[in-house]
Amino acid sequence: MMQRRSNAAELLPRAARLGRLKSALGAGVIRPGRLWEKRPLRRHYDVVIIGGGIHGLATAWYLAKDHGVRDIAVLESEYIGFGGSGRNTAIVRANQRTQENVPLYDEGLKLWPILTDELDFNLMFHNCGNLNLAHSEAAVAAFRLSVNTANFYGVRSELVDPQQCKELVPALDVSDRPAHPIQAGMYHPPGGVVRHDAVVWGLARGASLHGASIHQGVEVQGIDTEGGRVTGVRTSAGPIGCRKLGIMAGGYGPAIAAMLDIELPVNPLTIQAMVTQPLKPFLHHVVSSGAYHVYANQTLKGEIATGAHMDPQVNYTTDVTAGYFKHQAEALTDFMPCLKGVRFLRVWAGLADMTPDMAPILDGNFAHEGLYLDVGWGYFGFKSGPVAGKYMAEFMAREEAPEILEPFALRRFLENRYMGETATTMKYGQWD
Amino acid sequence: MTFRLTCPVCGKRDVYEFTYGGPERGPRPAEADPGSGLEAAVGSDPAVAAEAHFRWAQFRMNRPEPQEEWWHHGAGCGVWFSTWRDPATNREAPPGGAEAGGHEAGGRDSS
Repeated sequence: MMQRRSNAAELLPRAARLGRLKSALGAGVIRPGRLWEKRPLRRHYDVVIIGGGIHGLATAWYLAKDHGVRDIAVLESEYIGFGGSGRNTAIVRANQRTQENVPLYDEGLKLWPILTDELDFNLMFHNCGNLNLAHSEAAVAAFRLSVNTANFYGVRSELVDPQQCKELVPALDVSDRPAHPIQAGMYHPPGGVVRHDAVVWGLARGASLHGASIHQGVEVQGIDTEGGRVTGVRTSAGPIGCRKLGIMAGGYGPAIAAMLDIELPVNPLTIQAMVTQPLKPFLHHVVSSGAYHVYANQTLKGEIATGAHMDPQVNYTTDVTAGYFKHQAEALTDFMPCLKGVRFLRVWAGLADMTPDMAPILDGNFAHEGLYLDVGWGYFGFKSGPVAGKYMAEFMAREEAPEILEPFALRRFLENRYMGETATTMKYGQWD
Repeated sequence: MTFRLTCPVCGKRDVYEFTYGGPERGPRPAEADPGSGLEAAVGSDPAVAAEAHFRWAQFRMNRPEPQEEWWHHGAGCGVWFSTWRDPATNREAPPGGAEAGGHEAGGRDSS
């Protein structure tokens, strides 16, 4: 049984609390591997959540903390954070493009410091700001739209010229030499990076402290329904009954939904990321470029963590390919020439669950009573995890969609109400 | 890892020579044969017809099992062809299961 902190620890000033995990570890208050309590798997829960990533754990945490629903099992087929939660590039931001998405991501961004305090766990939110580069007139026009939308909703975002880009990131080559010369930048000071593993661990600990059970190595193999209601799941550890079921399995969501013969406009695609050898601090903001298909930030350890584009075919594997090393190296060294000769050390892949409008599907009670769906976040699943969990918990507890989630229902794809996160429908997973 | 696709003209080639054309999804609902079950289901209600079209255009089952899909050998001979690939392994794979065949190969129940 995990111990709550001693009273002495509670008296520490807030600033000291953030740095006290290490001392707590040293004092044996929190033992490594015991951040959350392992409990026996029971045969029935009020709520079963499929997926022990940030979305599932956040939903469990908010259900237990805010709604008094504690009879929860989070089922994870591997280990918590195995999927997208531990494979993303940890970037957070709120400069999306549409009236439905900006407020949601804005609240999500503002949640990081709040969560750090509520979970009493250092999530290592590094508020370094994001600089997105435009290399064409069309991209500059798209930035103007995004910046104005962001500012309308009170989100700090500004258009900057190449010289200002250079001041923000001196390593940038803002001359005409690169294949895609920099025309402008979109600077978003409130964004940054968060330690994704810490979010998984902190939420798992918080959810566990409030009574939720986390079960690793339990794979869902089927979903049972009766009379229009979800009644339980069949798993590698036997059947488990439930009254409400949340599918929050990230890129594996479509395969889980298919167990109920539910078709989704979601294509799981493999996306790769990699890190270089550690370097002296030189990149003080997240830098991204759509034209180069690259985004990069320097980790606290000094590595350049960079994400690539996706292969277009539906793919549930996390295999990596050599071609992306070449692509990332060419792209990064073209607009940041100082990186020439730097070595990549590690590469990995994860799944991105892509929708045609680059916006997620958050729905409930649409095919079967008691069935809730949180899927289709594409490569925005990390930054949105806690806020998605907050509102999915409200949805599941009250059995009614919170107003902020209403636009994200699955039906929009049958009514031609695609969100305008991109100028045109994405072509991932198909060609037409 | 990368893998090789079998082009009907050039044989096994690196997958990055090809463009993915999406899964085989049958004819558009509006182009379905007169008197087909699909057209009968669509009827004359425009909203129903639109919904059928949107389902056809974007909705997928995406089970982790072999599916028939289209590829274009753009960096080679330029031919369009269909083949079977398994998203669970990201390799070419024969239609899965004993009941395989047609667009719904692999059966309806993978659980």
